[in-house]
Amino acid sequence: MSPRYILLIIALICVVILLSTPYFGLSHHLDSDVASQILMQIRIPRVLLAFIVGAGLAVCGLVFQAMFNNPLATPFTLGVASGASLGAAIAVSFSLTFTFLGIDSISLLAFLGALITISFVYGISRFGSGFSIGTLLLAGVAVSFFFSSLILLTQYISDVTDSFRILRWLMGSLSIVGYQDIGRLFPIIGLVIALIFYFRRELNLLMAGDEIALSRGVAVMRVRYILFFSTSICIGAIVALCGPIGFVGMMVPHICRLLIGQDHHWLIPASCLFGGGFLILCDCVARLAIAPAEIPVGVITTLLGGPFFLWLLIRSRTHIS
Amino acid sequence: MIDIHHLSIDIAQQRRLDDISFQIKPHDYLCILGANGAGKSTLLKALMGIIPKSAGDILIANTPLEQLSQKQLARQLSYVAQSHNRHLDFTVTEFIKMGRYPHHGLFAHWSHEDQAAFDNAITLTHTEPFLARRIPTLSGGEGQRVMIAAALCQQAPFLLLDEPSSFLDPRHQVEVHHLIQNLNQQHQVGIIEVTHDINHAVQHSEHILALKAGKTLWTGPSADFLTSSTLPELYDQPFVMTAHPETGHQIALPSEQRLRQ
Repeated sequence: MSPRYILLIIALICVVILLSTPYFGLSHHLDSDVASQILMQIRIPRVLLAFIVGAGLAVCGLVFQAMFNNPLATPFTLGVASGASLGAAIAVSFSLTFTFLGIDSISLLAFLGALITISFVYGISRFGSGFSIGTLLLAGVAVSFFFSSLILLTQYISDVTDSFRILRWLMGSLSIVGYQDIGRLFPIIGLVIALIFYFRRELNLLMAGDEIALSRGVAVMRVRYILFFSTSICIGAIVALCGPIGFVGMMVPHICRLLIGQDHHWLIPASCLFGGGFLILCDCVARLAIAPAEIPVGVITTLLGGPFFLWLLIRSRTHIS
Repeated sequence: MIDIHHLSIDIAQQRRLDDISFQIKPHDYLCILGANGAGKSTLLKALMGIIPKSAGDILIANTPLEQLSQKQLARQLSYVAQSHNRHLDFTVTEFIKMGRYPHHGLFAHWSHEDQAAFDNAITLTHTEPFLARRIPTLSGGEGQRVMIAAALCQQAPFLLLDEPSSFLDPRHQVEVHHLIQNLNQQHQVGIIEVTHDINHAVQHSEHILALKAGKTLWTGPSADFLTSSTLPELYDQPFVMTAHPETGHQIALPSEQRLRQ
């Protein structure tokens, strides 16, 4: 089947999910005024947020997988999400409340955390005799551990309220949201995805390796730095608002590759739609599984992502060695 | 025309290439010989703009290399690596078409020129039979022809090849050698090839550049290479010469004796 039709099918499924999920679990005994208020004020913004966050995470994951030519290399596994979390945790714990160019301190520190982490991890993987994917992944793991303990430390020295706030947010959640949050997040994620789509041909060539990409005329390092910078903005903005929601960026692009092939012209919109729909469904499970209580959506994605990671690891063992 | 004047390259304070000068005209065929670590790959990488020079000049069509954008450079030089990437899950058609990248701007669509370049590349390399296949399913010989087709699709006047036949069996080696020779002689593609196959270099190329420890040990017409008795010094290994039973051309074979220390 041609990629065009597969994308169309993904889009249709996505529309069905977007239109139906706000009604899931809406109790029948509520009178219609309350029900419509819940729908308009809580459910619809939450589903919209899940969609743009899922789309952003999936496309950032796709970019990392393409740039490093490995399905295990994603912002989450390389410690970029941990770096963003640490930045945000520091902002909360030290009550840093400033805005710069209209961006709040939590998002700003999350972005800086993400950018510093990817620069550091990539720098280490190139140290000495050229780039090594094994070093990159291991450096990502080490940095994740290191940042986790720093986050624990900031939590420990925070007061009880801040500490609980950090803990709750570290689990990744889409529940605290109004339309303003969506209004702030949508243009950032939208622009980053548009920029990434602009680089679709470069991403295709990067998958063939740096030398081939260079010889075909791709300014490899410049493209790579632009993509690091823009994905860091996207990850920083998402983590600051929703916490680190893991593994969406690993699972979704990989499944999309199996469905639609390697061409980023189709893969980017497919990952965007699939990621959005996927996170809406995960959030539905999070909301309904033990209703009236909620499970943080990050717990659901990580429960799915862990086994998926192992499956990928076994499949791609030959890639790494 | 590629003009290299007194090129030197240092990597991590170590001199990898020292005062290299040569010139390649369009339609020329240059083979670069040398032991492992002699600087052959460094030279190719410098030409591709991957490694910056430390001294000297690289002029491509009279323009210094560092003034060319990566796309402008790609319109002058294309490149084929040692072997094809077995994990690259594109179809052959998709991959060859990606060779048109340096000719495409912001809102480019697939034009008649693009199609003509594509058709020409697959005709020259005889890759039509496996256009619909995925790259991981190709054999070594097929994969290398596809890599050459993708480079030709770029329509650059010069083609750089880094040991293109090293990992191939004899039949596919000969096939790739003939393909390169045909591109050079019938289709006026300038060739710069790094190789360890001395007899292939002598028989098929026009000029040879022999590098040892980053310096030019010998350079000149390929026909004069074997009589120049450069080989033992180039590889620190004695060679014996004999006539090819079929063609009568001189061929070099590594001697069973080790070089006396």
